[in-house]
Amino acid sequence: MERGMQGRIEAPVGRRTLVQSDKTQAQPAHKAIRVAADGSAVIEGRKCVDCGAVVADATMACRACGSRTPLEAVRAGPGGKVFSWSVIHRSYPGIPVPFVSAIVDLDGGLTLKGTLRGIAPEAVHPDLAVEAVIDDAGGILDKEGRPYVGFHFVPKGVGQ
Amino acid sequence: MSDAFIVGADMIRFGRHPDRTPFQLAAEAALLALDDAGITIREVEAIYAGSTFNSASMVAQRVLQLIGQTGAMCVNVSNACAAGATAVRQAILAVKSGEYDVVLAVGAEKNPRGLMGGPLTEGPPPEGLFGSVAPPSIFAEAGMVHASRYGTTIEQFAKVAVKNHHHATMNPKAAYRTETPLEDVLASEMIAWPLTKLMCSPNVDGAAAVVVVSERKARELGLARAVRVRGSVLVSDPYEARAPEMFDPNSVTRLAVGKAYEQAGLGPEDLDMVELHDCFATAELLHYENLGLCGEGEAGRLIDSGDTALGGRLPVNVSGGLLAKGHPIGATGVANIVEVVHHLRGEAGARQVEGARIGLTHVLGFASVAAAGVHVLEKA
Repeated sequence: MERGMQGRIEAPVGRRTLVQSDKTQAQPAHKAIRVAADGSAVIEGRKCVDCGAVVADATMACRACGSRTPLEAVRAGPGGKVFSWSVIHRSYPGIPVPFVSAIVDLDGGLTLKGTLRGIAPEAVHPDLAVEAVIDDAGGILDKEGRPYVGFHFVPKGVGQ
Repeated sequence: MSDAFIVGADMIRFGRHPDRTPFQLAAEAALLALDDAGITIREVEAIYAGSTFNSASMVAQRVLQLIGQTGAMCVNVSNACAAGATAVRQAILAVKSGEYDVVLAVGAEKNPRGLMGGPLTEGPPPEGLFGSVAPPSIFAEAGMVHASRYGTTIEQFAKVAVKNHHHATMNPKAAYRTETPLEDVLASEMIAWPLTKLMCSPNVDGAAAVVVVSERKARELGLARAVRVRGSVLVSDPYEARAPEMFDPNSVTRLAVGKAYEQAGLGPEDLDMVELHDCFATAELLHYENLGLCGEGEAGRLIDSGDTALGGRLPVNVSGGLLAKGHPIGATGVANIVEVVHHLRGEAGARQVEGARIGLTHVLGFASVAAAGVHVLEKA
C-alpha cells in the first residue's frame, strides 16, 4: 500500500472524557464512508426501496423516481469493476501527479469515483476487477486533530 | 403568439482583456448587436444577461449604466456554460409571450485563470484522494467510455482540435488563430489522458449579444437579414445511474436536441451547419452522436471522413469552436448563435458555409449537475 491502512481504522485512544473522545473520533472524508463507534469503516450507498436506484449521497427523496420513502443503507463493494478512467497529469496546485482517476461500479450497485493505485496507468482497462480499500485519506487531520477515513481502489488481489 | 426573429448579432474578439471589466465587455457586445440591427438602446424593452462568474453583479443593469439607463427590465441569469443560451432563450420567450417586441440578450465573462473547479468542501480536498474533479478529467472519462465501447483513438479525438483550430484561422474574432497540425496537438502537454492541452478549451474573456424581436418588429426593420428561431430548448439533466460520480454529457444533450428537432419540425438531415459545445475534444465526438449527426459509435469515422470540416457535408464549429475561438463561459452560448446568424445571412467571410439556410447551436453547462440548451435557426 502506498499510504493508509486497510479495512479498519483504529481511532487513536484518548482519555476517557467526552471532549477528548470526540476529538479522537475518525471522520469520514467521503459521503459514502460510514465510520462505526469502534472506528471500523465501510462503504455504503443509499438504495430506493421503490425503484432500486443506489446513490452515494443523502438525498431528500429518490432522485431517480421521486419516492419519499426513506432510502435504505446498503453495503457496497469492496469488489467492483472499472467503468471508465483517466490518467491525470495536470491537477490543481500541490496535488501530486500522475494518478489514475477511476469510475468504479461496486458490487451492490453503487458507482464511485476514486483514485486507482497499485497498477501502471497503461494497464488499466474497462471491466478491470478492483477492490475498494479503506485508508486514512492521505493522513490529513482536521483542525481538532481528528483523523479522516477515506478509500482508494487497487486491482483485485493487490490489496491482500 | 409571435414568432421570434434575431435581427442583430455580434461579439467582441475573444481573448484576454485584462484592462476591462466584464460589464465593459458586455456593453461593447451590446452596442455591436444594436448597430447590427440598426436600432438604439432606447428601443430595447428588456435585457437578459448571462454570466457565470459575474452574474451576481447585475451585468444587465451594468450594461445599461454604460450605454443608457432606459429603465428596461433587466434579468441576470447564471447556468454554468449554458448561461448565454439561457439568456437568449429567455429573450425568445419574452418576445413569444407577446409582452415585448425588442429584447436584448447578452452573454459576458471574465473567466478565472488556470484550471477551473476545485470544490469548496469541508475535510481533505477530494482532488487526488478520490480521483479527479477537474473538468478535463471529467470529459476525459466521458471520452474513455466511447473509446472503450467503440475503439475511438486519441488521434480521432485530436483531429477535432486540428479541425477547429483550422476553422479559427478564418475567424477574426477567435482567440487562437494558428494552424495546429495533428502532431502539435498530440505533442502538447498531457492534461488528462486522452486530452492534451490543445484538446482543452482555453479560459479567455469575451462577450456576445443578439437582438431578438417580434415578427411585427422584424418586418418593420426588414426581413432581408433576419433569422427565424425555429426551435429553442433548455433542459436539465435527467437521472442517470452513475451520475454525478460519472458525469454524463449525453442524456441531457439528447433530451434537449430531441425536443428541439420536434419543435422545429426537422431533423439532423436538414441541418447545414452546427455549432456544438466542444469544451474538450472528446465532447465533440460524443455530441456528433448525441445530436444525431451520425449513428451510435460512428463519431470517430465521421471526424476521419472530413464531413464536419468546412467544405464537408455538415460543417461543425466553423467558428473555431470553444477549442480555438475560446470559451468565456457565459458568452459561449450567445456567441455560437451569433456565428450561425452570420452564416445564414451569408456574411461569414472566408469561413462561410455556402448556401447555409438552417443551423443548430448546442451548449452544455455542468457543475456536478447539467443543463443543455439547443437552438435551431433558419434564414427568414
